[in-house]
Amino acid sequence: MATVQVSEAEKVYILHGVRDDLRVDGRGCDDYRHMEIETDVVSNTDGSAKVSLGHTDVLVGVKAEIGKPKPCVPDEGYLEFFVDCSANATPEFEGRGGDELGVELSNTLYKVFRNQCSLDLKNLCISPGEHCWVLYVDVLLLQCDGNLFDAISVAIKAALFNTKIPKVHLSENEEGGKEIELSDDPYDCMRLNVENVPCIVTLCKVGYRHVVDATLLEKACSVASLIISVTHKGMITCVRKVGGGSLDPESIFEMTETGKRVGKALHVPLMELLQKEESLGKKRPKVGFLG
Amino acid sequence: MLKSKTFVKKTRSGGIMKIVREHYLRDDIWCGSEVCTECKQEESVLQKDACIESSLCAFPHYLLPDTNVVLSQIDILEDPLIKNVIILQTVLQEVRHRSAPIYRRLKDALHDKEKHFYTFTNEHHRETYIEREPGESANDRNDRAIRVSTRWYSDHLKKAEGLRVVLLTNDRENKDKAEASGLLTYRCEEYVKSLIANPELVDRLALTDNDKNDITTSKVLFPEHLPLSRIQVGIKSGSFQQGTFRASRDNYLEATVFVHGEGDDSTEVLIQGLQNLNRAVHQDLVAVEMLPENQWVGPSSVVLQDEGPKDDDATEEDEEEKTLKAAVVGAGPRKPTGRVVGIIKRNWRPFCGMLFLSQIKEATRHLFTPADRRIPRIRIETRLSSTLAGQRIMVAIDGWPKHSRYPNGHFVRSLGCAGDKGTETEVLLLEHDVPHQDFSQAVLSFLPKMPWNITQEDMAVREDLRLLTVCSVDPPGCTDIDDALHCRDLANGNQEVGVHIADVSHFIRPGNALDQEAANRGTTVYLTGRRIDMVPELLSSNLCSLRCNVERLAFSCIWEINSKAEIVKTRFTKSVINSKASLTYAEAQMRIDDTSMNDDITKSLRGLNQLAKILKKQRIEKGALTLSSPEVRFHIDSETHDPIDLQTKELMDTNSMVEEFMLLANISVAQKIYEEFSECALLRKHPAPPPSNYDILNKAAKAKDLVIHTDSAKALADSLDAARVDGFPYFNTLLRILATRCMMQAVYFCSGMESDFHHYGLASPIYTHFTSPIRRYSDIIVHRLLAVAIGADITYPDLMDKHKQSALCNNLNYRHKMAQYAQRASVAFHTQLFFKSRGIMNEEGFILFVRKNAIIILIPKFGLEGTVFFENKNKPSPKLVFNEEATTLTVEDHIFNMFDKVKVTISLDASNIQHQKIRMSLVEPVIPGVSVAPSEINEPEAKKVKLDH
Repeated sequence: MATVQVSEAEKVYILHGVRDDLRVDGRGCDDYRHMEIETDVVSNTDGSAKVSLGHTDVLVGVKAEIGKPKPCVPDEGYLEFFVDCSANATPEFEGRGGDELGVELSNTLYKVFRNQCSLDLKNLCISPGEHCWVLYVDVLLLQCDGNLFDAISVAIKAALFNTKIPKVHLSENEEGGKEIELSDDPYDCMRLNVENVPCIVTLCKVGYRHVVDATLLEKACSVASLIISVTHKGMITCVRKVGGGSLDPESIFEMTETGKRVGKALHVPLMELLQKEESLGKKRPKVGFLG
Repeated sequence: MLKSKTFVKKTRSGGIMKIVREHYLRDDIWCGSEVCTECKQEESVLQKDACIESSLCAFPHYLLPDTNVVLSQIDILEDPLIKNVIILQTVLQEVRHRSAPIYRRLKDALHDKEKHFYTFTNEHHRETYIEREPGESANDRNDRAIRVSTRWYSDHLKKAEGLRVVLLTNDRENKDKAEASGLLTYRCEEYVKSLIANPELVDRLALTDNDKNDITTSKVLFPEHLPLSRIQVGIKSGSFQQGTFRASRDNYLEATVFVHGEGDDSTEVLIQGLQNLNRAVHQDLVAVEMLPENQWVGPSSVVLQDEGPKDDDATEEDEEEKTLKAAVVGAGPRKPTGRVVGIIKRNWRPFCGMLFLSQIKEATRHLFTPADRRIPRIRIETRLSSTLAGQRIMVAIDGWPKHSRYPNGHFVRSLGCAGDKGTETEVLLLEHDVPHQDFSQAVLSFLPKMPWNITQEDMAVREDLRLLTVCSVDPPGCTDIDDALHCRDLANGNQEVGVHIADVSHFIRPGNALDQEAANRGTTVYLTGRRIDMVPELLSSNLCSLRCNVERLAFSCIWEINSKAEIVKTRFTKSVINSKASLTYAEAQMRIDDTSMNDDITKSLRGLNQLAKILKKQRIEKGALTLSSPEVRFHIDSETHDPIDLQTKELMDTNSMVEEFMLLANISVAQKIYEEFSECALLRKHPAPPPSNYDILNKAAKAKDLVIHTDSAKALADSLDAARVDGFPYFNTLLRILATRCMMQAVYFCSGMESDFHHYGLASPIYTHFTSPIRRYSDIIVHRLLAVAIGADITYPDLMDKHKQSALCNNLNYRHKMAQYAQRASVAFHTQLFFKSRGIMNEEGFILFVRKNAIIILIPKFGLEGTVFFENKNKPSPKLVFNEEATTLTVEDHIFNMFDKVKVTISLDASNIQHQKIRMSLVEPVIPGVSVAPSEINEPEAKKVKLDH
């Protein structure tokens, strides 16, 4: 992961700022940086979104494919995550440099989504035990400027919101053989209910306080960070401590409370924004990749 | 401007794929009209005064048909009257998707400059491109695209006074919408009926769904066809089989479906009864469901023909089906039986045939009887029935609704009067799928420019053999001479023999239109009195033909042969020759026999003849078969082109002389190209027939106390030679005729695809065709291969691709087979003409086969085969006992054996104009109630006089 060198003086300056609830870029401790979201950016995926948070840039594509349900849950579809840390983001990812981070990120995503309430997986089942939709969620890091988890989770939520799965129905012949039939109308497709999809809030303990959406500099000053995935109702689906350092129970409790509060506040404008973009339909001006 | 087109597709493995294509929109697509000043087109297709006289549109107008109009009314669009038509890209794509033959015809019309058909690429035009909207079906979207384009044209051409665009559509909804938006729209029928100039065009209108309903009764006669999706599911799960439907020639209630399995594993499924046949037509690709094994039946041996218009009256049908069922019981072993559940792909083409007039006068609906008995009758609507009666016409099928006994169709064109030579030839060419149209301009453009001369460059790469005494020997009247020979003594006592073959591959270069046309035609078809060339006449009868006293390009195969006729050396070369004489077989024979002649040509011929005799002997010793088939030639009156006399072909020494050297050349070339290209040599093989094929031959021989050994070609040849009966010289020929029928077809194949190369009939381990490139495409390929092998020409990818070559072989085999059938049909037709002019004749013949209820008789004099039936519809049949083991038929008290000599009267049975046939009735032996009295013989003198010329 991208590292920055911080001098002692800078460190003190940042710590003191955080203590006074005034961060280097002028934010308060619970504030996010400026965030931009655009959906439907990659035409050959079934759903896609691009999120930039500060200078962090993340692209997420969702591809729906037909697969076999897992034997333990025959009546549910499932999600697969893959995070690609491209060398575009930072030269350190070159070669196999980004693999470790990629695995860590995708493992976290599996944990975040491994619960009953975030997505209705039963909807993804076509015929129990035989066919279901598998959603391949591919994350591509375009630029790293701290707080990857939050940016990725927002992008995934937006991409899932944007996902259009073609409608299929099963036809049965006399012998009981099943055949999947595809609807003739390309507009005839299934949407996912993303209301309960959680967002990740990463909290970094800097000095005695904690901040959300830490920049790389702040991250370098932080002792430890905690990621919390929160649904719009404030329910926590996953808590993980990442990085070195340790946290005392009290601050974990505090950080969780902050996470809940910030998370809940993050969901509302996000959903509003997505719905607004959707309602524009085809008339929406495409900003596109480089726009 | 860039747009992307997105659609979802199901993949073969069952997955779903989203596919995104880039789609470019342009603003430089021109309208194609002469009147337009805005568009910067170089050449306009649509005329300024586009007038088709119509009572609906008195003004000049362009027609713009929608997809369904093109699909169903292509016959109308092809009419020369219809001009100035705009074909939208949307329509073209849909047509291509739905029907390949119609697409081809539409493309032809588009290329025809006279037709003024214009393709407008509306899908790429910025102003006419539309995207599919939510809730809109693909068809609706296309209809809308057509309307948008019509609208665009109307606006675009507004400046041209009076010129309008007419949308032709049969879809009511589309028409309503178009009219609502102010477009000029007609139904196709409406428009065609309004045409003043050509009222008979109405007959060619295909029936649309609305019209079909009132023809038929509401009674449902057939089970519904399953939709394609169900069929696919069924085939996948194995409950249905997919195969080609082949109707029976003799029994309209019976058919087989040829199911293609994996590899060579294919089976036949029997289908019996109207319900089970379920509206399938010969050659359709169908899905069949197997019946449970206890319902399996055997193929019936009765002959049933659909007897005229009973018009959906099912009672009589039932009776016929009962007869069929009765006949089935106990007949033959039971075979897998099934029923047709759906049609995967129709393979309808326009059919030749005749009109069967309705008994009701002034009726406009009539039944059409196709010439091919395997095709059902077709109901058509026409006002011209009185003119069309007695004519051969072509009819296309439009559809077969489930409550109609017959399919519905429409009149396409008339070929001429039945019985007329030209018409009948046309019919037999069409029915045998022989491409016989004139060569297109594209093809002719690849011909060499006249006057043609051998250039210096040609001479430089070719051996100059102009000084050799080369001559050609062919049948009289031959204009496409593809082979010539020479023979001269060498200093070492050996002889040099050369076979010079026309160098057609010099003129036909791979891949061009001329080459493609020749590859498609595959062979020249020789009919009695007409030749359908494989290559244009300039090549076949002039530049390639090795005529005497002109310099011609040749491909030569030159051997050094010793006195024992063993080949010492073989070489191949491209050459230039100058033939010294074009002889007929008879002329050549005369020169050889005439001891007073001692010129170079004659000497050369004598040398060749001598060697040929040795070669033939060697070949026969190896086990080559000499078979026989009664071949006849007609003497054709030079003015009326009517056959005056029949004559069986005579064989002379010189015939076999030429043949011997051609075989030798073919074998030498086959060895050379196989040596050089073991994977892609085009060869010809003749498989050994399975032993069961010889059953009939063995039985026939046994009847005369002879034994025919059939274990090898050599044994067969020897025992055929030994099989003679005293006082019956023709017996041996009869036996050979029978043996011919036991043989398999010889076929072309690609050496990389098969392992068995043996040519059974010629007893040669390898064989190909090299010697007739003017009339066979296979020879052209062999020439190219050989040219590459000797470094005289370059290769090209298709030549070295064994799969492409294998596909080519399949076409060649098919064309050869069809050409043979067409030839036979032509001979049969001329035989009929001959007997028509002759009246009734008495002739002697031999029994060739004995059947259950008939004997088949061969008249050696005419090479004519006919059947004498002992069962007659109107008469009580005599007592018949058929002994299958000894192949004898006892009629009352007389026993008919194979090869018995009989006397018959021959006459032409013209009671069925469509299928006129030669009727034979027995004169001798006299069987009361069966045989007839000999008829008066008319004018035997006339014949003798004519024989002389």
